[in-house]
Amino acid sequence: MTTTVQTREKVWHNPRGWRALTVVSHTNIGRRFMLTGLFFFLVGGLMAMLMRAQLAFPDQAFMSAEIYNQLFTMHGTIMMFLFALPMLEGLGMYMVPKLIGARDLAFPRLGAFGYYCYLFGGLILLSSVALAMAPDSGWFMYTPLSSDVFSPGLNSDFWLLGVTFVEIAAVTAGIELMVSILKTRTAGMSLSRMPLMAWYLLVTSVMVVFGFPPLILGSILLELERAGGLAFFDVARGGDPLLWQHLFWLFGHPEVYIIFLPAAGLVSTLIPVFARRPIIGYRALVLAVITTGFISFGLWVHHMFTVGIPKLAQAFFSVASMLVAVPTAVQIFAWLATLWAGRPRFSLPMLWIFGFLVVFVFGGLTGVMLALVPFNWQVHDTHFVVAHMHYVLIGGMLFPLVAGIYYYLPLFTGRMPSMQLGRWGFWLFFIGFNVTFLIMHFTGLMGMPRRVYTYEAGLGWDIPNLISSIGGFIMTAGVGMVLLDLVLHGRYGRKAPANPWQGDTLEWTLRLPPPNWNFDTLPTVNSRHPLPVFPGHNTDASTEPMPSWLPDMSHGRRETLGCHPVSGKPVSTIHLPGNSWWPFVCALSLAVLCVLLLIRAYPLAAASATLSVALLSAWSWYNGPRKAHALAPSDPDQPPLHFRGLDSPGLWGANAGLMASGSLFMSMLFGWFYLWTVAPLWQFPEQTPLHWPLLTGVALLCSLAAWVYRRLLTPPKQGLTRSVLLIAGAGALALMLLATQIRLAPLAVREQAHDAILLVMLLYLLMHVGVALLATLLQARRAALGLVSAELPYELPIVRQLWRYAVLVAWALLLVLIAFPLSWGVY
Amino acid sequence: MLRIPPHHPIQLPLGLVIWAIWFVAVYGGLSVSCALAAPDPAAGPLTPINALLGLLTLVVTLFLLAMARYCWRGASAPEAGEHAFIARLAGAAHVIAAVSTLATGLPILVLPPCV
Repeated sequence: MTTTVQTREKVWHNPRGWRALTVVSHTNIGRRFMLTGLFFFLVGGLMAMLMRAQLAFPDQAFMSAEIYNQLFTMHGTIMMFLFALPMLEGLGMYMVPKLIGARDLAFPRLGAFGYYCYLFGGLILLSSVALAMAPDSGWFMYTPLSSDVFSPGLNSDFWLLGVTFVEIAAVTAGIELMVSILKTRTAGMSLSRMPLMAWYLLVTSVMVVFGFPPLILGSILLELERAGGLAFFDVARGGDPLLWQHLFWLFGHPEVYIIFLPAAGLVSTLIPVFARRPIIGYRALVLAVITTGFISFGLWVHHMFTVGIPKLAQAFFSVASMLVAVPTAVQIFAWLATLWAGRPRFSLPMLWIFGFLVVFVFGGLTGVMLALVPFNWQVHDTHFVVAHMHYVLIGGMLFPLVAGIYYYLPLFTGRMPSMQLGRWGFWLFFIGFNVTFLIMHFTGLMGMPRRVYTYEAGLGWDIPNLISSIGGFIMTAGVGMVLLDLVLHGRYGRKAPANPWQGDTLEWTLRLPPPNWNFDTLPTVNSRHPLPVFPGHNTDASTEPMPSWLPDMSHGRRETLGCHPVSGKPVSTIHLPGNSWWPFVCALSLAVLCVLLLIRAYPLAAASATLSVALLSAWSWYNGPRKAHALAPSDPDQPPLHFRGLDSPGLWGANAGLMASGSLFMSMLFGWFYLWTVAPLWQFPEQTPLHWPLLTGVALLCSLAAWVYRRLLTPPKQGLTRSVLLIAGAGALALMLLATQIRLAPLAVREQAHDAILLVMLLYLLMHVGVALLATLLQARRAALGLVSAELPYELPIVRQLWRYAVLVAWALLLVLIAFPLSWGVY
Repeated sequence: MLRIPPHHPIQLPLGLVIWAIWFVAVYGGLSVSCALAAPDPAAGPLTPINALLGLLTLVVTLFLLAMARYCWRGASAPEAGEHAFIARLAGAAHVIAAVSTLATGLPILVLPPCV
């Protein structure tokens, strides 16, 4: 049957009106992320302007200290959590399938779910401003300032619950991008031929998966302390406020690079196009990105140089902080070399790249200064740090982002921007930015501290502050001009010709704007430059006609190619889920749970949590090969459907999710050992409150479940349901033993951090065993209905991974909570 | 660990994972050692803690360099083909990890551990 445009439109149709809430297409979800991010950027920017108005003159009474505290807290929180990362993840979600030759991301519904979590979390956080209860402890929420003693209202709770909700979105987007880049590239796109932007986003997504869980854990612990009275950060009860700082900056410093790397990916994409030659040092750049991804996790203590840790430990972090400048410098030199060797065109996107190079290098240099411990002590908590941070974040993220938006504007709308308005926008922004923040370095060096709502006249800070405020308003005019350009171009912009910037990557083979399915047929690539725009540089490109993939859509399935993660060889046809209410409904249910926790209506929250689990289970139930078209015959010349094998995107997604959970678990173990070693009033009880036979029983039963699952990876023709039910029985027994363990343990969680952290670890294991058990029970039913079988085995290894992880956690807890302390004789 | 083929994609992050584990080990080891038995500050860097941390740093650095050599040899093997990209990159990443280990560990030579 021939696939016509009408067939394609029917398969990939996106409804309008209120049913638009069901849309899961990466193009729409990516755009929604970016538009919502833009809204939050404007709100955060407005707050910045209010603060600059307050600081423009000494002794101003334009706003109170309380309002100023709320403003600087919300400005930082909004810009970091609601603007920078969601915006870049949205751009990544929009671009990745187009860059790698796919029709959609690997988990379209997960992307939609993440978007709604982000939207609802952001609105919950923002509602605190309308309710005059905005968080006011700084965007890093240091304890004890954010604890219930010093922040008794709901202000901090808004932050902890709202931001945690938003972080779910970040982690889901990270998982989705990681799996999509590794598993859904088009034929022939080996790792060595992957566009640099995909490398940057791959490393970023891995960083998100590992970097966000420490803060999620910190937020859960602090909320438990504030709402439930558990002791984690209270010195008098065996806790330590510095644990919060460690957990926060374990996330917070990688976060800077999580924001920078995708933006640097845009720079690496744009510079070769406008220099009209391939990038110099492709391998060096890949290496630099991977190195940055790792080393950025070893710098977190440089935010804590003044808290009183030994000089040798400070020196480790000082050196690591300087080391991270090396891969960044490698990238800058590769970009400069490419410009030097090419024939650069100074188009509008390049103007913003120029701004990036100047501003980011300045910010990087002051970063190296701050890595030096003595200098860091001198300028700690002054406006010098504020200036440095804005040079790095605005220079490293906003300038490339605007360049990228201008570059991809023809893809978004099919029209070109106005060069005239765009230039005005750039120069106003660039000049305004430097007037604001360059002078702020000197304000800081003259001793003006951060987070003060006003200052006395005559300290030498009057003129610099006035200049910074004027610069801030010039910068705002630049933002206004860019926005005007973006709005007007949709109506008055020149229609974009094909490949308007002469880009070399696959997205420029698409119609402008592209259809919902991106590619009619998926291409085969045999070069890093699928489009021959660099004469003389496409030496490895073959002139032979290349096969194209998945031309048929008459079966009604949304499909994309599944590839080998290294070679890019097609190995399966991935059936992508279509539009659905589940992502919206599940996110809404979690938002209700979040609000009920916020207002401390715990019985209702428990009911809401149960409902959320039921809805999420139902979502998982109505997925996979349930509908007739899912298993309709497909072209025998194309790779088999992913349902037919064990190596599905779902398995990769489950592994990525478990890696995120593993990062949270490692943070928990860090908290345990940290408090044990450092907290001044940490106490072990006379004997362990845990019953080792019970915990050993849990570990053995989980091991049994995982072992039986391993045998099922070659599914039997008969008796699959019975075997899965047997596993569920073992899991149920494990769950009962664990619940008994928690019930019997004499834990004084409100009196000692030791007991509180013990409880959290046991609950963590309980949650994992519970999730694995629920998934196993659902799988038993699906096996009975024939949805899981020898012919459709792909779900089996996914649930197996859940048990394997539970095994790991159970044995680790036995070792860490019982065996190790006993070996030290502390009980 | 040297048995993992040089072109296996896990080699790409492996060296830096080892660096990260070493980093946590020296930072954690230092903190625990200082909590248990802080040496006399007058001893300067000439303490058993510095000696142990320094030894660990040296061993990890040498191991990473050996891994780099292993990957680069694999990259030049005739059968490496398409995988040479990964093997070369992994070799370079191991060298970076080795240099990072050595550079981050240098203060062990000059600073007392618990002051």
